[in-house]
Amino acid sequence: MDCVLDGNCVKAFGKAIHALSRIGDELWLDPMVRGLALRSVNSAHSAYACFLFSPLFFQQYNLGSVSEEGNETIKCKLVIKSVLPLFRCLSSIERNVKRCQISISAPCDRVMIRFFCRHGITKTHNVRFQESEALQAVFASHLCPNVLKAPARLLGDMVTHFPVSQEEITLSMTSLRVSLRNYFEGAKDHIKTMHTEISLHPEEFDYFQVGVDSDITFCLKELRGLLAFAESHCLPVSVHSSATGSCVVCRPVCFSVEDMVLEATVVLATLIDSEIRGPSQPTETPVPTTPRCVHAATLPVGSCEARSNIPHDITAVTELVTSSQDSPIINPPALMQLLPQTDIPNEFCVPDAACPSTSTTPASTVICSLLFRALSSDEDDDSCAAGLNVLACYSDGEETMEDYPRSFLLGEVTQDALHILTFCDVAQSRSK
Amino acid sequence: MTVEEDENGSCDTPGAILQNIRPTRRSTTFATMPLSTQSQADDEQYVLVASLDNARNLSNILKAITFKDHAIFTATPNGLKVTVEDSKCLQANAFIQAEIFQEYTIKEDLVGFQINLTVLLDCLNIFGGSTVPGVSTALRMCYRGYGYPLTLFLEEAGVVTVCKINTQEPEEPIDFEFCSNNVTNKVILQSESLKEAFSELDMTSEVLQITMSPSQPYFRLSTFGSSGNAHYDYSKDSDMMELFRCTKTQTNRYKMSLLKPSTKALALSCKVSVRTDSRGFLSLQYLVRNDDGQICFVEYYCCPDEEVD
Repeated sequence: MDCVLDGNCVKAFGKAIHALSRIGDELWLDPMVRGLALRSVNSAHSAYACFLFSPLFFQQYNLGSVSEEGNETIKCKLVIKSVLPLFRCLSSIERNVKRCQISISAPCDRVMIRFFCRHGITKTHNVRFQESEALQAVFASHLCPNVLKAPARLLGDMVTHFPVSQEEITLSMTSLRVSLRNYFEGAKDHIKTMHTEISLHPEEFDYFQVGVDSDITFCLKELRGLLAFAESHCLPVSVHSSATGSCVVCRPVCFSVEDMVLEATVVLATLIDSEIRGPSQPTETPVPTTPRCVHAATLPVGSCEARSNIPHDITAVTELVTSSQDSPIINPPALMQLLPQTDIPNEFCVPDAACPSTSTTPASTVICSLLFRALSSDEDDDSCAAGLNVLACYSDGEETMEDYPRSFLLGEVTQDALHILTFCDVAQSRSK
Repeated sequence: MTVEEDENGSCDTPGAILQNIRPTRRSTTFATMPLSTQSQADDEQYVLVASLDNARNLSNILKAITFKDHAIFTATPNGLKVTVEDSKCLQANAFIQAEIFQEYTIKEDLVGFQINLTVLLDCLNIFGGSTVPGVSTALRMCYRGYGYPLTLFLEEAGVVTVCKINTQEPEEPIDFEFCSNNVTNKVILQSESLKEAFSELDMTSEVLQITMSPSQPYFRLSTFGSSGNAHYDYSKDSDMMELFRCTKTQTNRYKMSLLKPSTKALALSCKVSVRTDSRGFLSLQYLVRNDDGQICFVEYYCCPDEEVD
């Protein structure tokens, strides 16, 4: 693979690497016909990011010797720490770098990154890589009932209100408002820490679709990189999410930006608080009555009612939800209708056998994680990791992506409720 | 080392009598007044007297070579040379010509002593090294000769401090036998371009390899670190290249740990000359402009780590 970026694009490329460095320690470089993908995943496999630069982004983009042996292009895995210093000082890159050449050649184990700078100076870096299977998360964004598209700075401005140390935040969506608040584990934190909640009216968004009222909690730190990238490129950020329809199903949230020449996606696992899932709740089928019970119950009801700008309806709905833990609730008709439409067939639910164990564990937070296994495309489903009930493996290369069923499937691995989710590629499946 | 705060009375050490300086007295000519009140008779005792209106003109340049505690001071009628060495492989010299000093008197052809450089710098900065414009520390450096301490009179805003720093027997500085006749390759670069390269150098690399050649890559700095290697190439036509005189392709490696201190000198300098001789010895010469725009030089000599052809 051999590609050349011109000066302006080097800065964008560098920013992508900065954003990816916030996710994980390793960077997957995947040159494909449809562009160069940079991907990273965190060690807990609960956050994934992908930056895809189309060939148009580059001055030159050659995949090299793909045709001859019929081999795929080399996919490599680099240590982010060895690449990040090359792009650390973006302002000096902007000033000095005229062109950047990146090439991977088969015989050697190095990626060559060469900066052609002003004043006749050339900087060449040969960075060691490991050959690796492509990393890819598959996420059916078109199946998400909730879609937001926020103008470039909106989300960035919202998150600046949270302290840098804030690990997780909760995004709540109803048809009348969207809010972000910080998330705390355990009741004891409520007293000592500062609670921040920011609400936005749907009109603030470029696109607003809330199919199912939801509260989702995810890691903020890992998102900040993408938000910084979006802000610097003035790109709107799309948010695709689902409600936590049943007590054991947890769906990740996907943040993405795109423009003519690049697409960036961050997929984050969301948190389920199993305190909510008491033994009294049925576990075989998703319970339509508890779409938002996950987080509402952990928050003081008072905070919902205190806000003066909330229309009366919202308050009523919130109250309904918080009481759902104790008594059956009567849902507004809207909620009932939406749930069956969200293409989450019951048969994809976690097998019953696994459920009781999770619902009877003591109140502890269960984190859904995305697990990306380097499976080759012809590997049999049954040979997946022991105990898995994964019904399909994610694709390994671009060619298999096209035929891949657009659905997500899940399985449960262990007693301590590690969920494995596989998703279709956002970029491919997105059809707006 | 003894430091005596002398505000109200005369100093009791022999040969260093100051007029009484009362804290309430203020004068517009802070720099020269108190120190110049020393009587002529006392100066007779000193083999070396050097005065600066702004002590930073000495301390800044000494900071560029402070990677070891001890330095060898060699004073000649031409000026002052301060030498610091490391493991017999690296030598750094700072030259402050006689013209830089407001007063420079030397009674012998060569005056030499060894002194603790860290302590000297602490004394030169004893008033805190403020950068308020118009306020500077004046310095009068006096040396009576072999066996005597180096006496510093430092004054700022009417307050005088006298420092006496013990001196040691000067060791003979290494003679790297680097002479101009033997120089095979020489380039002069504007420091700006090298500063960035040196700040980005991969510190996990044990060596810094310098390649100089009349053909491509002309002038190349290379590192071999844990994550891969890096090369910084400067074309001979670069506008950062003020002089390019390479006769033979040479590649030499130098220990990164030895060359790292030279980045301080690089940071102060505006131009740097890089020369290698037939043995692969490296000479880096930095042109430094002090606060008053005067030129001083710092040079580093380094032995090659191994010969690479």
